[in-house]
Amino acid sequence: MKSIKFLALLLVILSGIVACKKDSPDTYESDFNRAEMLVEYRDVFILPAFSNAELKSDRLLQSANNFTANPSSEQLILLQNAWFDAALSWQSACMYNFGPASEAGLTKSLQEEVATFPISISKLNNILSSGSWNLSDFNRDARGFYAIEFLIFDTLNSAETVLNRFQNPTTSNFLIALCTDLKNRISTTKSAWNTYSKEFVSNAGTDAGSSVSIMYNEFVKSYEALKNFKFGLPLGLRPGQTSVDPNLLEARFSHKSFQLAHEHFIALVKIYRGINENKSFKGYLKTVTGGEALVTSTEQQIAILLGQFDALDQNLDMQSRIQSSPQALIDIHTELQKNTKNFKSEMSSLLGIAITYASGDGD
Amino acid sequence: MAFSAIRFVYLGWIDDHYIHPEFHFTYFGFSWVKPISAAGLYLLHLLMMLAAFGVALGRLYRISAIVLFLTFTYTELLDLTYYLNHYYFVSLICLWLIFIPETDSKNTLPAWCKWLIMFQLGVVYTFAGLAKINSDWLIEALPLRIWLPAHDDLPLIGKLLTFPETAYVFSWFGMIYDCTIVFFLLSNRTRPFAYITVIIFHILTGLLFQIGVFPLVMIGATLIFFSENWHQRFQHYITQIPLLGGLFVVLPSGETEPSQFRTSFILRIVLTAYVIFQVVFPWRYLLYPGNLFWTEEGYRFSWRVMLVEKAGDATFYVKDSQTGREGIVYNREFLNAHQEKQMAYQPDMILQFAHFLGKHYSQNGVSKPEVRAEVYVTMNARPAQLLIDPKVDLMKVQDNWSPKSWILPEKE
Repeated sequence: MKSIKFLALLLVILSGIVACKKDSPDTYESDFNRAEMLVEYRDVFILPAFSNAELKSDRLLQSANNFTANPSSEQLILLQNAWFDAALSWQSACMYNFGPASEAGLTKSLQEEVATFPISISKLNNILSSGSWNLSDFNRDARGFYAIEFLIFDTLNSAETVLNRFQNPTTSNFLIALCTDLKNRISTTKSAWNTYSKEFVSNAGTDAGSSVSIMYNEFVKSYEALKNFKFGLPLGLRPGQTSVDPNLLEARFSHKSFQLAHEHFIALVKIYRGINENKSFKGYLKTVTGGEALVTSTEQQIAILLGQFDALDQNLDMQSRIQSSPQALIDIHTELQKNTKNFKSEMSSLLGIAITYASGDGD
Repeated sequence: MAFSAIRFVYLGWIDDHYIHPEFHFTYFGFSWVKPISAAGLYLLHLLMMLAAFGVALGRLYRISAIVLFLTFTYTELLDLTYYLNHYYFVSLICLWLIFIPETDSKNTLPAWCKWLIMFQLGVVYTFAGLAKINSDWLIEALPLRIWLPAHDDLPLIGKLLTFPETAYVFSWFGMIYDCTIVFFLLSNRTRPFAYITVIIFHILTGLLFQIGVFPLVMIGATLIFFSENWHQRFQHYITQIPLLGGLFVVLPSGETEPSQFRTSFILRIVLTAYVIFQVVFPWRYLLYPGNLFWTEEGYRFSWRVMLVEKAGDATFYVKDSQTGREGIVYNREFLNAHQEKQMAYQPDMILQFAHFLGKHYSQNGVSKPEVRAEVYVTMNARPAQLLIDPKVDLMKVQDNWSPKSWILPEKE
């Protein structure tokens, strides 16, 4: 009986190898090194992104100090530019919303703490009239990038209106408090990466809780946030919405919505492609069964999208555009939607990346 | 039998699944099963745990068994998302535990009890094995060729998993193991080797895949194939180790009494009906057109485990039939990640979610909503294709046993 089992096993191995030989043209030996990919993402993408965001948020704070010390229209322009640089830098860091950036206790994730939009105008006006604020409460729609934006921009772009606001010292103090809070939150996360860094690289599996899985899931979440919140909602594309809603746009006071969304998309594409392709998600895909076909269709879709973004005026004011002729923007949303399956279901399926902790498909 | 305390493992996270999501997928015919309050669910799990101990230790045996079956099955029925074949298995076994007589002073038990559980295990393994006899599994070594390389960071065998050859060996071995293991377990001569194979197989699959307690359940349950003598010795040794004694409580399995088997005519009819159901029900897929793995009509409750790698992306469109305005749903507004993932490639769940959306939006300002879904599914690493007809208004479709004509055929 024992020998029969051995024979059976031998037969299995033999038939396996034979079957596989017949089939070899489309099989790859996947010897992709995920740990190296993680090192690359950490060193070339994540750490520089947080460093840059920290630098830009620090400059924003300095500009705010300069401006409040000497509220002139020249200083205001410098401050507004510093804000835009900081908000732009955040578009390349917002998708690393895990590890040190994930929620802990009463603090939500960094992305929610610093980049919630739309902000609540009534809450901010209450703060300004009462003169008291608490930047660690749950009112995340009353702090961060877009609360600062609300203070220092005027939708009609009148410097005078903004300067008038800062006649009131409360506004100045609140601005400094907001900028300090923003900078501190980003700095804290960035320094926490010093300790998290090793863990991130060593946890190189694909199971739920592995770095690849965590980073990938946040990547997809960020992509969907771009599609849903920067395009879908303001364009009125959700069921039950009866019209476009420009008030839901990101950066609606500075009219920089399009530039930020564009930057966000480019940052996501860069992550997918990598600087060194062979240490990126795209390179990883190329080493697995069915990966080439997915890479091809993803690249086609990315090309369409980049073309759409480029075809529009780079200084496009989304707020007025979605009210006058939104079709080009709706088209971007449609193409983003078409690419979702490439980034979301197909990529995780081919790479075998776990989405949740619960046991899935079978038992 | 040793699955009692193992249930502990479930308890940690199961509650999170039932309390938070706004919407729950239900089993066909069981949509009346609704989650109770959070506190109630925790209480229920405590009860389940106590009942499990009760069954294991033989205290208040009958009541414990009934409570165990009801609480466990109720929890499983709450949300189809979490359907797993081994939960179904546990439910069935719990059901039979109710009817297995309490052991008397002589520690005897009617023979049918042991044979029934052995039969059930045979059904699980054999159907799992038969399902593996398909061209993707055997000729392409799919999905193992996708799943194995993702675990190349395992110590010792990690590197081996990256070779396609390994996937072939695993595929063929898995198929032969599932088809034949029960027969090797039945024979006295091969049983020890077979059991060692059981342990190796389940530990290996347990390491490789996120399959929860399944390996432990099977390693524990297959002990039933051993003789009564062996069990008594095993029980003797195991109770000497206090900690293990608590974990592994063996079903009392003294002398079997054939006479008791003859006594109950009703029992015989019930058992025969049950056996026929178990043998026939998994074949119902033959009545449906198309590839079972693609349509999933008749897929569940048939012991098809770890057979295919599928993932989908489902976009739902809700149209106001009065204004003609159509909006795109954010699934995650209503579902958790696990629910969304499972729903996105299973037609009956897609339909349930569509009906939920129709109802939700009709209460939120959309008049007579039409709901359609664009669902792209990738199966075994092939490029994604449409699973269902994206033009069909799902509000006009009802779920039933007949073939779902709105499922699109799989293109080669």
